[in-house]
Amino acid sequence: MATASAYRSPGFDFSNEIRNNFLSERGVPLPKATSTGTTIVGCLFKDGIVLGADTRATEGPIVADKNCEKIHFITDSIRCCGAGTAADTEFTTAMISSNMELHALSTGRKPRVVTAMTMLKQYLFRHQGQVGAALVLGGVDATGPHLFTIHPHGSTDKLPYVTMGSGSLAAMAVFEAGWRPNMERAEALDLVTTAVSAGIFNDLGSGSNVDACVITASHTEMLRNYVKPNERVQKERSYGFRRGTTAWKSESIRQMVVEEDITFIAPEAMDTS
Amino acid sequence: MPDGSYERPQQRQFNPYSENGGTILAIAGADFSVIAGDTRQSEGYSIQTRYAPKVFRLTERAVLAVNGFAADGNMFVKKVKQRLEWYRHAHAKDMPLRAIARLIQTMLYAQRFFPYYVYNILGGIEEDGTGAVYSFDPVGSYEREACRAAGAAQSLVQPFLDNQIYFKNQTPAPGTNHPTHLPLPDVLSIVIDSFTSATERHIEVGDGLEIYVVLAKGRSTQELASIGGLQELSTRAEGDRMFVIRRDLKKD
Amino acid sequence: METIDISRLKSGEVNLGTSIMAVQFRDGVVVGADSRTTTGSYIANRVTDKLTHVHDRIYCCRSGSAADTQAIADYVHYYLQLYTQTHGERPPVHTAASVFERFCYENKDALSAGIIVAGWDKEAGPSVYNIPLGGGLFRQPWAIGGSGSTYVYGYCDATYRDGWGRDETVEFVKNTLALAMSRDGSSGGVIRMCVITEDSVERLFVPGNELPKFWEGKEVLGMPLTKKDGNEPVPMAVEP
Repeated sequence: MATASAYRSPGFDFSNEIRNNFLSERGVPLPKATSTGTTIVGCLFKDGIVLGADTRATEGPIVADKNCEKIHFITDSIRCCGAGTAADTEFTTAMISSNMELHALSTGRKPRVVTAMTMLKQYLFRHQGQVGAALVLGGVDATGPHLFTIHPHGSTDKLPYVTMGSGSLAAMAVFEAGWRPNMERAEALDLVTTAVSAGIFNDLGSGSNVDACVITASHTEMLRNYVKPNERVQKERSYGFRRGTTAWKSESIRQMVVEEDITFIAPEAMDTS
Repeated sequence: MPDGSYERPQQRQFNPYSENGGTILAIAGADFSVIAGDTRQSEGYSIQTRYAPKVFRLTERAVLAVNGFAADGNMFVKKVKQRLEWYRHAHAKDMPLRAIARLIQTMLYAQRFFPYYVYNILGGIEEDGTGAVYSFDPVGSYEREACRAAGAAQSLVQPFLDNQIYFKNQTPAPGTNHPTHLPLPDVLSIVIDSFTSATERHIEVGDGLEIYVVLAKGRSTQELASIGGLQELSTRAEGDRMFVIRRDLKKD
Repeated sequence: METIDISRLKSGEVNLGTSIMAVQFRDGVVVGADSRTTTGSYIANRVTDKLTHVHDRIYCCRSGSAADTQAIADYVHYYLQLYTQTHGERPPVHTAASVFERFCYENKDALSAGIIVAGWDKEAGPSVYNIPLGGGLFRQPWAIGGSGSTYVYGYCDATYRDGWGRDETVEFVKNTLALAMSRDGSSGGVIRMCVITEDSVERLFVPGNELPKFWEGKEVLGMPLTKKDGNEPVPMAVEP
């Protein structure tokens, strides 16, 4: 017997699945999820990791957000770029970030990048590709700098330079041409910017600005909107409307302030009998 | 199949059509017509070229914008131009705008069951000297209008045009009326803003903008004097005159 | 009867389009693999390590879905650690292969994984186990797997001999993989090999520009055209 209960089981709620399957059989399409048809990259350099991302979020061919953040916080010295379904990348990285903090608290050590990588791959594998998160994970820990890609089905790769998302081919072309071992910080940041820009300008799913994040053993620097090559030009006209432009059928003005009369009554003497 | 990978019969078919993005629009004034289009040509998430014109000069007073499947568009324009040349040889004059519109209808409907996958907008000056815009669907249904947007960002631009050109949802100030036609500088501003805005919010719009301006015979060109990136296309200074304005759009 | 489709890959899944092999010889085994990982026609990783450590003297070669085979290898790695702790000694290769087999067999409807397990143990010495797609378990003196393997069965059958030493076996693995990689579009990159013996695990690496070369035609090799002596085969006459 089903009983009303305050208890809700953890994890995903599948209670609408049967209804939604029925609807899609009858030709009602599922709503489009906001996707970050994206360019995200990461590269290893002499002292650590540089991560990079564009800032466009799309719903089909429409730009949903011109300046979104795709470099997510995992720990102080680990960050994760997300491509794919925006909701999945945001939720997954937030959940792993939370679990990493708990892990750090219970072990009393600074958590490692492989720990985050393992948590992410096991979570994504468990959901068999249904959680559409394609990630670039990078950071520095006690064992040095590490950089991983994690695909939606849960496979991982460890490489010195990586790209993901719809602009990954454009960005990888830049890396394949320009990456060298032991680059200086400035060179690496420059290469990452060029790689993300290649995605921004050559892939329609990517656009707007370049976000970057430099992680070294001692310091993590988030460079939000590091380059802004796509500022909107000044509009030719101003589109203010004259007061009274919007038509109306009737007018009624309500008094929103509630008026109250307060009458003070002289206090009665306490009953002390 | 031995491995059991095909449970049901599979059907495959060649798809002769593609969709190449971009947007076009045209606005008619009292004695001028403005026809514009962006120059990006894309397929899926890739840009095929940043400069592929979608707006073409047909005669001294007619301009055609085509949007949809680029290969069909280019072939269609080529065939319209050929028919117009034959007309010139036969009649020693350019075909009038309303006749070009009817010709385009006939040519589109001829392909009723294997259509040109294109939306056409024809702009120019009629024989009576008024600015005109004709818009077509892929199989030839057409009408004359004051303004029309088509293509990838039609759903973004048309409502804006309805509001700014037709003054939809705008109550005029008491004792006044909305103008039936806007002056040329206002129209150009609205066209440029339409495209910069569509570029902001539609991934298939951008790179470049080409605005064709056709002015009726004897009309002053004063309002175009201050416009940057202007080039005259007319072969004669008397008669109707045609200009093109080229602008950059964002390339992301 | 409902057929189970085991040869499909979920859409957009990362594929180890692969050429892998393992060969046993007198003192140990040689495992080898190419380094290409693909998503459709894009090479997602050109320097992949498909030779995965599961215990001190046991390695596996992975083919099929990258996600599935990584997950299985991680589980097996965990079980073998547990085994070592509870038994106080290294697991035999057969035990490792059986754990792989159980995962692959019992989840055959959800996995696309073709795995070769190889290693050395004190009971059997060197051994190679093949676990193909449905989750069978076969001990073989040599095993090849992945999409590229279909091109080189004939070469292996014709070339392999019992009783080889280390160097001959390494050459055999290197040549076989180079042939497979040259014919199979979803294999390529570099050759990675591991020589597992009682005393050590030695990693070998052959860069992509130093792969053994076989006949590729003079146009490809860029050899000068030799002067004709009149005995060359002439092109078939085609009617005008």
